[in-house]
Amino acid sequence: MAEPEVNLTRKYDAVIIGSGAAGGMAAHVLTSHGLQVLLLEAGKKLPIEQELRSMEWPYDNAHRGFLPPDSHSLSFNEYTIRNPPYGPGFEKSKHLHSYIGSSDYLKNIVVDERDNPFTGTNYAWVRARCLGGKTNIWGRLALRLSDYDFKAKTRDGYGEDWPISYGEIAPYYDKVDLYLGITGVKENLPYLPDSIFQRPTKLNCAEVTLKQGIQKMGRVLTQYRAGVTSDGLKHNKYRSRCYGRGACERKGGCDIHAAFDSPTGLIYPAMDTGNLTLRTNSVAREITVDPQTGKASGVHFVDSQTMKDYKVHARVVIVAASTLESARLLLLSKSRLYPNGLANSSGHVGHNFCEHVMGPGVAGRAKNLVGKPPTLDDGRPGGFYLTRFRNLAEKHPKFIRGYGFEGGSGSAMFPRGTDTHGFGASFKEEVRKNQGAFIGMGAFGEVLSRYENYVELDPVVKDKWGIPSLRFHYKFGDNEHRMAEDMKETAQEMFEAAGFEIVHVSSRVLTEGWSIHELGTARMGNDPKTSVLNQFEQSHDVKNLFVVDGSAFVNASCQNPTWTIMALCWRSCDYLAEELQKGNL
Amino acid sequence: MSAKDPIDLRQDRREWLKTSATVLGASLLPMPPLTAEASQAATTSLSHPAKTSEAKSNARFFSPAQHALVEELSETIIPADSHSGGAKAAKVADYIDQVLRESFDDNQKALWREGLRLIDVMSQHYHGKSFVNATPEDRIALLTVLSDHVQMTDLPEVRFFVELKRMTVTGYYTSKIGIHDELEYKGNRILKEYVGCDDQGPASS
Repeated sequence: MAEPEVNLTRKYDAVIIGSGAAGGMAAHVLTSHGLQVLLLEAGKKLPIEQELRSMEWPYDNAHRGFLPPDSHSLSFNEYTIRNPPYGPGFEKSKHLHSYIGSSDYLKNIVVDERDNPFTGTNYAWVRARCLGGKTNIWGRLALRLSDYDFKAKTRDGYGEDWPISYGEIAPYYDKVDLYLGITGVKENLPYLPDSIFQRPTKLNCAEVTLKQGIQKMGRVLTQYRAGVTSDGLKHNKYRSRCYGRGACERKGGCDIHAAFDSPTGLIYPAMDTGNLTLRTNSVAREITVDPQTGKASGVHFVDSQTMKDYKVHARVVIVAASTLESARLLLLSKSRLYPNGLANSSGHVGHNFCEHVMGPGVAGRAKNLVGKPPTLDDGRPGGFYLTRFRNLAEKHPKFIRGYGFEGGSGSAMFPRGTDTHGFGASFKEEVRKNQGAFIGMGAFGEVLSRYENYVELDPVVKDKWGIPSLRFHYKFGDNEHRMAEDMKETAQEMFEAAGFEIVHVSSRVLTEGWSIHELGTARMGNDPKTSVLNQFEQSHDVKNLFVVDGSAFVNASCQNPTWTIMALCWRSCDYLAEELQKGNL
Repeated sequence: MSAKDPIDLRQDRREWLKTSATVLGASLLPMPPLTAEASQAATTSLSHPAKTSEAKSNARFFSPAQHALVEELSETIIPADSHSGGAKAAKVADYIDQVLRESFDDNQKALWREGLRLIDVMSQHYHGKSFVNATPEDRIALLTVLSDHVQMTDLPEVRFFVELKRMTVTGYYTSKIGIHDELEYKGNRILKEYVGCDDQGPASS
């Protein structure tokens, strides 16, 4: 089906590529400055409420909430034993998805791996091509970074400092908090600054036990800081407050939009200003350049359905296609002026690729809760966050940087503990009696930014639209593996301190990419020789080109990136609007 | 046979494969045609699928006899008790039938046909009866043999048991009976206020 035609003959003030957290935020900020903006999204505009169906019972779903039989999602084992591209060997499945797509509620949101191949090292690359991208299905943990992260090099000597400090970005975190809503509890931690929180969720009894158990170790457990509006947002008519309903643990999203997503949180309100034009099904293949001025002139894209090519012109080009796709697009935008790709005089585009390592964790039982009447633990946007404690005051002998744990406990729609040995009456009773006593958590740790971890264009393989694919050169290193060992040990020691019966301890490191927090492929910096963007996410080389997604990160920290992506983007777009007005772009 | 006697599964399976009607080495072939006894068991079973299902029986994966066997197997995995109904009441066999009917995975389908056949071969060997006609105690004893040898994943009957348990658990705990009667799940409804430990009383009594 063809897109309703948008006017591509006029020159827009700005064209944004990508409609996720970054692209949505750019659209919001720039339209609020009165700029005329065109937003291009590679995927469809889905009838998202019909996709997510957050309160559907499994027995009312044709496949109990699982993927239909003609579809397959890759498992950890398949990622381990096969190499990308992940198409060959799965010929029986009509659709092939990344690991996260193992749910009926995500099947149209995440891409088909066959249409979007990549090569090189193993990578669990989760991509959502639809309006709003991954914000439709994100985990919602919304954390701030601090100067422990922005000035990490000053602290431990590794890598580069960010060209900004916490004080410069803090006002923009505040704006994001107030505009989008976040739940949580103030903790006054220097390494994990508080947000302006709405009403928090509550910890359940096993979580309280853990919080108290680790206090004597000087460690902090706090309510999940969720990018969810618990009190509602008077300025936004598209989003409801959280009613604690729905099985929020399920792989899916929030169909009342209490959890932030880019379309209802940012894009629809931006369209209401009358300043935003949206074109979906628009796959960018190149950022065009004016050979006279060396500036970006617009975007060359292909309609994903009709395969027709289009060009659109704008005074400013904003890349927000996701960390890896943005790097790919810059590398694709080669010209006589820019033979190594756009904004790449440093040679750093695609490099310094970093993220979070995950996998190690622990599962246990609060023995005093076994056999208690069932409790209501579900419907919360999240359980708890156990904050970083490594390399703050003391230096760990085996690794630098840190990690935190995400966790939860209590009853879920599908009971935990069905992997218990045996069967029959005793098995059934054990599952029932233990269901509310389960508690588990898994770590997310900083993967160091390293030049030698990078993506480049594959010389041969192309995607469905004939656009060269990415080739990965990316592996966790020694620091990550030593950190992962420590994650497992501290997880166990904290569950022991809380008096839990430990059911399972995992030291298994999941495939690269699993955290869906890829970052750093066009990093910011003050030195144009070693960085791609300045502190306003503006290309050092091309003044009217901005890259406002996770690719701008200088390091990954161990905190989930979405809130920082949006705060940085807001700051950059304020600067952009001002510079445009001054005629400096 | 008693669940307490140590069983040498590898030794025993040589015996039962020898004494079974099929020849040794045929254990990876599809299920042979129904035996008269199995057909009889299916048609006389009180728990036969409802009439609406029978109307579509041509499209079913399981024969009526196999369906009856899967019902008894799944009920042995998750039985009815004083608290709630079991796998049979939750129509787990219908769920498994649907999954297999729609599956593109020929290995999975072959494992189920072969596994059901081996269950009856084992039941004849240990108890002199088909599984459906065996007593509840004998059924438990037979599945205990497999449950106690889950590490022997080279044996198709062991792989079948793992798959049977996995699909029974999935089908049961995603059913109305599993979610509402058995687990008394409290979520998936609109709340005025988040609940937490304070609202639910102290953890220890």
